[in-house]
Amino acid sequence: MKNIVRFVLLGWGAALMAASPVHAQDGLEWGVKGFVDTYHALRTSGDADWMSSRTRVRGEFRLEKDGGGAFVSANLVYNALLKDKSGFQLREAYAYWGNEHWDVRAGKQIISWGVADGLRVTDLISPMDYSEFLAQDYDDIRVPVGALRLRFIQDAWNLEAVAVPVPEFFVLPTDAANPWSVGALPPEVRPSPVVKNMEYGARFSCFLGGIDFSLMALRTWSKMPELQGDHIGYHRMTALGGDVSLPLGSFVLRGEAADYIFGGKHQGNALIGLDWYPGADWNVSAQYNQTFGEGERSNLATLRVSKALLNNALTLSTFAYADVRDGGVFNRLSADWAATDQLHAILGYDYFYADGGMFLIYKNNSEVWVKLKYCF
Amino acid sequence: MKKMIVLAGMLLTAATLNAQSGRDIVQRVKDRPDGDSRYAEMQLTLVKKNGNTRERKMVSWAMDEGKDTKKIMFFTYPGDVKGTGFLTWDYDQAGKEDDKWLYLPAMKKTRRISGSSSKTDYFMGTDFTYDDMGGRSVDDDTHTLLREENRDGHKCWVVESKPKDSHEIYSRKLSWIRQDCDTAVYVEFYDKLDKLHRVMTVEDVQKVDGFWTVLKMEMTNVQSGHSTRIVVSNPKYNVGVDKSLFTVAKLEKGL
Repeated sequence: MKNIVRFVLLGWGAALMAASPVHAQDGLEWGVKGFVDTYHALRTSGDADWMSSRTRVRGEFRLEKDGGGAFVSANLVYNALLKDKSGFQLREAYAYWGNEHWDVRAGKQIISWGVADGLRVTDLISPMDYSEFLAQDYDDIRVPVGALRLRFIQDAWNLEAVAVPVPEFFVLPTDAANPWSVGALPPEVRPSPVVKNMEYGARFSCFLGGIDFSLMALRTWSKMPELQGDHIGYHRMTALGGDVSLPLGSFVLRGEAADYIFGGKHQGNALIGLDWYPGADWNVSAQYNQTFGEGERSNLATLRVSKALLNNALTLSTFAYADVRDGGVFNRLSADWAATDQLHAILGYDYFYADGGMFLIYKNNSEVWVKLKYCF
Repeated sequence: MKKMIVLAGMLLTAATLNAQSGRDIVQRVKDRPDGDSRYAEMQLTLVKKNGNTRERKMVSWAMDEGKDTKKIMFFTYPGDVKGTGFLTWDYDQAGKEDDKWLYLPAMKKTRRISGSSSKTDYFMGTDFTYDDMGGRSVDDDTHTLLREENRDGHKCWVVESKPKDSHEIYSRKLSWIRQDCDTAVYVEFYDKLDKLHRVMTVEDVQKVDGFWTVLKMEMTNVQSGHSTRIVVSNPKYNVGVDKSLFTVAKLEKGL
């Protein structure tokens, strides 16, 4: 407890010192932003043990001059349950350069493709960190990759080329002290860091009146560890796909589809989503995702409902994943209260139900959680 | 003689009222010169009934393309929404849906959002709807010129506007439009039960670079007691921006 208090005080001090608008001198601009948050989750069944207890300072620093710049994002974490997760964590660190018609970005970065919400069809470059499964903020779940990204930009379209020399893979928790552990795994064998194993691909995106669409091609790896004899490993694959967003009155129809080609086999992955903006600060979004063809199959659905109240001072939301094929649900319910411009207090409940499938291992992990977040 | 002068005056007023329809006046407001492009910084202060305040700050650029307008805006305060960007292509043609995109830096993704329904939503928790912020087409309402009268020493047209779409959040609005600057300086919004719901007051309108500019305004929800003040600073016109500023790529790059 003493450690948490000390850590929070240190974080607040750092936050207050760093809190600054954009500064400019001789064409050189720099700015700092970030937050301090503390998150604690308690299991609601069985022993009512702590599922998570962590506090951190997130700092984001940007330096820019004449179209070029650098961006660094890092966490300073104190994790009371998982000591090896405490300490300094570099999230993103990249340099960029460009003008209105092209830009290049090199370094550790999160690359997001596609139009799906929380599901992966064409969004295959930055993998997921499942250290706490899906019970983390979305930007914490994405794993940054060391990449070179080049974009050609026109008014209505852009072409993005990406190369990732050393691919990153899903992070699965195996520490027995972690309530989200998937258990011990055989040794991991990653592709050797040679040129022929690099990831590369391109995405062509169009943004037009009444429709957005993209086409993508990616030479990549399966990112989820799979048992390969006495070890876990990954297989090489090519993904060809695309996405579309189509506004229709108060709805937006979204779709993604991709063909994963590996070892002469094909697996299809398709998603359809519908966002509804009925007004009065309600948002409803539903998705259905299905894989077909060869390889491991899944059917997932999601439902997100949110409502802002009290002039956006209070936001109630729920986001549910349903494992349609095997029977299972994960639902994250939360109430986010903006106490001040900088301070949010969030109370939530994560509910698991499973007969089988991907949520079965977490069927006793329903939890209530609280988070305080101070932004600067 | 006196009666004749009063009668002549009434006839003249009637003639003026007839010469210009309510629609013409609202179109004048819409067509008020504001350059081909513009930039502004805005501070939005949300005031609760008990006096507690919250703030939002943002910067915005806009550019005309014929009768249509492209806009891009970024939040700069508070920290939890800093970097959030909106890109809007507003179409003048009534009934044509605007194109809108939202970029959330935490998600690192741009989302296409509905171009129609969000118009009647309140903008980021303020008492202004997206429509109030300037994107409403003239022919989305039926306008009637009611009368002329002085307000705070300025001659105004009083125009009643009734939405053609029954799903709008107001049943009618009354606008006091200053004749010297073609600017609505006081607007009353009535709810579906025809009770006064919100009141907008422009407190400061000045010429900047030769263009009439609203620098300070307030919207009060008289039913809830909540209000929002908007202060515009550093407005600039004909800023020479390129179309490339109003693209998804720029939205994702941020400020």
